[in-house]
Amino acid sequence: MGREPAQPFAWGRGMKIRGAGWRSIEAAAGLLSPGEREVVLGDLAETDRDVWRALRDVLGLAARRQLSLWRNWRPWAASLGLALPASLFLMGCSVAASADLAGALRELEQVQLLWFSLSRLLLVIAWAWMAGFVVGSVSRPTLWASLLACCVPCLYCLSEWPGQGLSHLRLLIFFLPGAWGVWRGRRETQLGLRWAILLAAIAMLTPLMWSKGGLVYGCWLLWPAWYVAATVRRKQE
Amino acid sequence: MHTFKNRLDAARHYTHNVVLIMIGEFEFLILSAAAHLGEEAYGAAMREVIETKGGRTCSLGALYITLDRLEAKGLVKTWMSAPTQQRGGRAKRMVRVTREGVRAAREFYQAVIKISSGTVWGESLRSRLPGDAV
Repeated sequence: MGREPAQPFAWGRGMKIRGAGWRSIEAAAGLLSPGEREVVLGDLAETDRDVWRALRDVLGLAARRQLSLWRNWRPWAASLGLALPASLFLMGCSVAASADLAGALRELEQVQLLWFSLSRLLLVIAWAWMAGFVVGSVSRPTLWASLLACCVPCLYCLSEWPGQGLSHLRLLIFFLPGAWGVWRGRRETQLGLRWAILLAAIAMLTPLMWSKGGLVYGCWLLWPAWYVAATVRRKQE
Repeated sequence: MHTFKNRLDAARHYTHNVVLIMIGEFEFLILSAAAHLGEEAYGAAMREVIETKGGRTCSLGALYITLDRLEAKGLVKTWMSAPTQQRGGRAKRMVRVTREGVRAAREFYQAVIKISSGTVWGESLRSRLPGDAV
């Protein structure tokens, strides 16, 4: 009596997908928007495709959706136009501001120097928050690309930075306020006119606090300030 | 008077060019599958029709991206159905071909039939049709 060769359940055509195969498809469907995820998983649940084809379907759709986002100017502006250059600018600012503050703390009698260093640090924090806000609000679905564009120079500089331990972190003073700004920007929080004007003023002031190179670079990075101001104006209309 | 008539003609051609919506081959397949299924047209069913009747492989990605494009052109209308038990309690994206969709598909079909007449593939298809074989 010949025994039929055992077929792996749920891995061939003609059987519903279940178990680990289905879980991997569900995980891949996490890349889709919630509404589309339900529709696609429903379609796959009632067909008898094999796991690999179903996975290809889900990943293919997610890739097409991502690609279609990049036809717009927003992801380019957020990642290559802001996140990448701003991370380089802010790393320089973070190092300069922290070095100033360390020097001022050593000479506490010079109150003016301490005040100047603190104001520089505050400017860096505010600028980082504003840049993060703009990145978050300009292109929410492609935040991963902006994060990548920000992290690559940071990781490179950390690997090249001669400092050890805590001195490493001087490079990344801007990171937390920037992340806070992204979080606020993602929630589409409307900025009041006063806040927008304050941030625009900070954006103008921040490059002025540094030497010639920082000035030129910072002036080129003024567009987030104008974006914040323009968005507020449109919302008020 | 002559100039005015020319202007009118130009306006008519302009309107014609604007109203005419060109569709591609895959868009035509999707419109045809949706029309075949009628009230029961949704993603998985349409894919089955395209693959069995059309003899083409069809990925869900291509299907849904093209559906979005057709909806943007106003050739189909889509909406979410109520969740069904068969799909594990998940909703379907239902599809209906609009009047503009029917017109666009008809124009595409007529263009294909016209341009195929007199060609080897056009004639061989005609000879295989049941009515012509007798």
